[in-house]
Amino acid sequence: MPDEAARSLRISQVGLRGVVGAGGLTAAHVLDFASAFGTFLEPGRCVIVGRDPRASGVMLREGVVAALLACGKDVVDLGIAPTPVFQHTIRRLDAAGGISIGASHNAAGWNALKFFGRNAIYLSTAEANELLDIYHLKKFSFVEWNRLGTLQSNHHSLDPYLDELAAVFDFDALRRFRVVVDCCSGTSSLILRRINERFGFQFILINEKMRGVAFAHEPATNKDMVALQLAPLMRPLGADAGFLFDADSDRVAFATEDGAAISEEMVLPMLADYLLPRGEGKLVITNVSTTALVDEVAARHSSEVVRVAVGRQAAIDALSSYRPEQIAIAGEGTGATMMPQFRFVYDGIASMLALLSMMRERGGKLSEIVASYPRYSILKGQVPLVTHRIPALLASLRERYADGRPNVVDGLRMDWPGRWFHVRVSQTEPVVRIICEQRGDPPHDLYATLIELVRSFA
Amino acid sequence: MPRREHLLKIGVSGIRGVVGEFLTPALAASFAQAFGTYVGGGRVVVGRDTRPSGEMLTHAVACGLLAAGCEVVETGILPTPTIQIYVAATHAQGGIAVTASHNPPEYNALKLFNAQGLFFNNYERAELLDLYHQSNFRQASNEEISRVLTDHGSAPRLHFDKVLAHVDAGRIRNRRFRVALDAVNGAGAVTTPGFLRDVLGCDLEAISIDPTQVFPREAEPKPETLGEIAALVRQCHREIGFAQDPDGDRLAVIDENGVVLDNDDVLALAVDAALRRRPGDVVVNLTTSSVIDDVAAAHGCRVYRTPVGEANVVETMQAVNAVIGGEGSNGGIIFPAVHLCRDSYTGMAFLLDRMAETGEPVSALASRLPKYYRRYGKVAYEHGRLGPLMQSLEAKFPAAAKDRADGLKLLLPEGWIHVRASNTEPLLRVAAEAKSQATVESLYAEVLRLFNG
Repeated sequence: MPDEAARSLRISQVGLRGVVGAGGLTAAHVLDFASAFGTFLEPGRCVIVGRDPRASGVMLREGVVAALLACGKDVVDLGIAPTPVFQHTIRRLDAAGGISIGASHNAAGWNALKFFGRNAIYLSTAEANELLDIYHLKKFSFVEWNRLGTLQSNHHSLDPYLDELAAVFDFDALRRFRVVVDCCSGTSSLILRRINERFGFQFILINEKMRGVAFAHEPATNKDMVALQLAPLMRPLGADAGFLFDADSDRVAFATEDGAAISEEMVLPMLADYLLPRGEGKLVITNVSTTALVDEVAARHSSEVVRVAVGRQAAIDALSSYRPEQIAIAGEGTGATMMPQFRFVYDGIASMLALLSMMRERGGKLSEIVASYPRYSILKGQVPLVTHRIPALLASLRERYADGRPNVVDGLRMDWPGRWFHVRVSQTEPVVRIICEQRGDPPHDLYATLIELVRSFA
Repeated sequence: MPRREHLLKIGVSGIRGVVGEFLTPALAASFAQAFGTYVGGGRVVVGRDTRPSGEMLTHAVACGLLAAGCEVVETGILPTPTIQIYVAATHAQGGIAVTASHNPPEYNALKLFNAQGLFFNNYERAELLDLYHQSNFRQASNEEISRVLTDHGSAPRLHFDKVLAHVDAGRIRNRRFRVALDAVNGAGAVTTPGFLRDVLGCDLEAISIDPTQVFPREAEPKPETLGEIAALVRQCHREIGFAQDPDGDRLAVIDENGVVLDNDDVLALAVDAALRRRPGDVVVNLTTSSVIDDVAAAHGCRVYRTPVGEANVVETMQAVNAVIGGEGSNGGIIFPAVHLCRDSYTGMAFLLDRMAETGEPVSALASRLPKYYRRYGKVAYEHGRLGPLMQSLEAKFPAAAKDRADGLKLLLPEGWIHVRASNTEPLLRVAAEAKSQATVESLYAEVLRLFNG
């Protein structure tokens, strides 16, 4: 589908991403980018490769493996593996790093390469820039014919990962919950089936079969997708909670026992509320698009919220400017959170287990816990990007809403007491994202005006 | 070490080069993607020889094929003829062998086959090369991307059964021939011991049959590289010794005295064996010995001559529906009833079958062939000097009949001279043949004097 693929390709600090096919993400990009990574990595250690179930993942895997072997890297291929398991394996095998093949919450036609260094740490901006320079220079360190790497398959990475979860969470207590999970044809089923089998949990899985082409539905962790299939099952199945994962299991959203689909924005404030009193860390790191409820929750615990630009890269750079023990949690309003217990990798499974631990600690129903927070209503939308008018758009917004408190760390965020909006250019797609939130009822008027204004610049 | 520009070659023969700085995974993948585009998707077989770079390149090739919407069947390490037969037998759209054949181990290459498991003809090759340069490849979307299947088991049997249909396997097995094998740690290492021992019932002494090890000798099986197997034949009292190249298409033969037979004579023995079963046309290249003409004439059969190169021989064999053919000097026996490709397995079976049939040692079979003396060599020339050199050669032998199909071949009453430019380097390859040692030496010396003077 050239139409879908055209203009989808993006090569940036975050890696390589696009719709697979003509005009989009091609084999040539994959080989060059993986060769750049093989050149970038320190010599002497193995490199981990894993993928999500997208059909194109096999093509990308073949290219990634060839490039790494050619750079003299020994490769351990995990096959189809959830991203948290993949990251755990990088640490466990003390690998030089890894390449994760998968487009997470994007539609099935997309794919991406994500790069990790030692200890499964995302590349810093400086490292990512170096990688990009190598990619563009196309001078790769291919080794001689008799020093090529070797390939090894490893399909036993799941249990060691689960051992680590079991050491952090009280599995004996958590297994009594009756939990429904929408796997959305992704990799979470691999973990959850094994938890059921090994630890006697009662996860009831829907959309559990991994699919390469047509996912059960859009693999986005948001309220609409929770409402689609998961929420209606809560009452009939008598479940205590319901969770939805994206294709590679790094993000999560949830439904309550009464069948309500909960905004994905709730994951971070609730986990912050649970984690802040438990540890030494007093910082919550999030981006400027995330709900203001985080600030309210943090204030209750006399903690501080650090707000950075949207995107994983800004969060990674922020994390690296603090000592790990200073931080309670880092995350986004998308349902992606990182906890210090898991060495700061986005892990939807760990996020789910932390929410279940919170339920156990509070003792009440999940709907009651959600209801105990002040109500915020968030509206999110997007408009196709016309780049040359972005500065004018932002200037015009700032002029029009001159009474607000501006934040220009990423696009424009305007704050009023109990109300804010954020307009920014997406890093992954050619769109302008518009988000506004209000304490209480949804800010429909503000949202409609913003959309109209942004459209007038398109 | 050849000059830098010869370390990578992309041409109508495909892509070949020194792995690392020159033959990169990206080049292999885009060539494979061009191939996948050319065959229009569908199932493509990928196999390889034992070169350490084979695994890396197999993944690169699979990447390119998948990106073009092909389904990949990965066969692992197999001889090239076995891969070709498997392509045809499994109705694939085409095949790619990751092998640089007889080239040194630092080289690798892609050999490309059509749906019949044959090399593309010259027109198809040119078309494919254009497609590669145009870079306008088929780019499969997620829905169009297929899968990688593996079949590491079934291909050798398909190949062996085809060979067995053309010999009397029973009489070979009954003889329990004492055979020696040197598989150069190549693809033959995984299939040839089973072929000789289990299929043909030989008592086998084998060396260099570890596919995980590097080539222990020069990859091309020729007399000066086969000392070890020749010694093994003598020490272990073998009746015959076989030596393969890394991808198992070429064959060299050692007689029971440990003497490496001339490759042209091996081809002549195979031609004789084939024509005894069924007379018909024979096709060989211009550099192949006249012994083939004598053997064919004895059966009342015709010989066609082609330019050097397996594809050229195969193309003519197809055109004339030849019974057998090959290229003498490089140990290639092509027997279309098995498959239209160089096949060392057919060669081994033919020789053992003739030994079983006649009860004679292989040295006796070879000694009955008409005796010719040959000289081969290379002469470097400067770019631009090729024409004058060829003209001076022609002027030197005004009475000779000339064949210009590939360089210049001069046919003289006392023998012949064949001079052709190498496709890969500024070298002239010189071959001469005559009925006596003195005559061939004098012909060869005259050519060298002319070129070096």
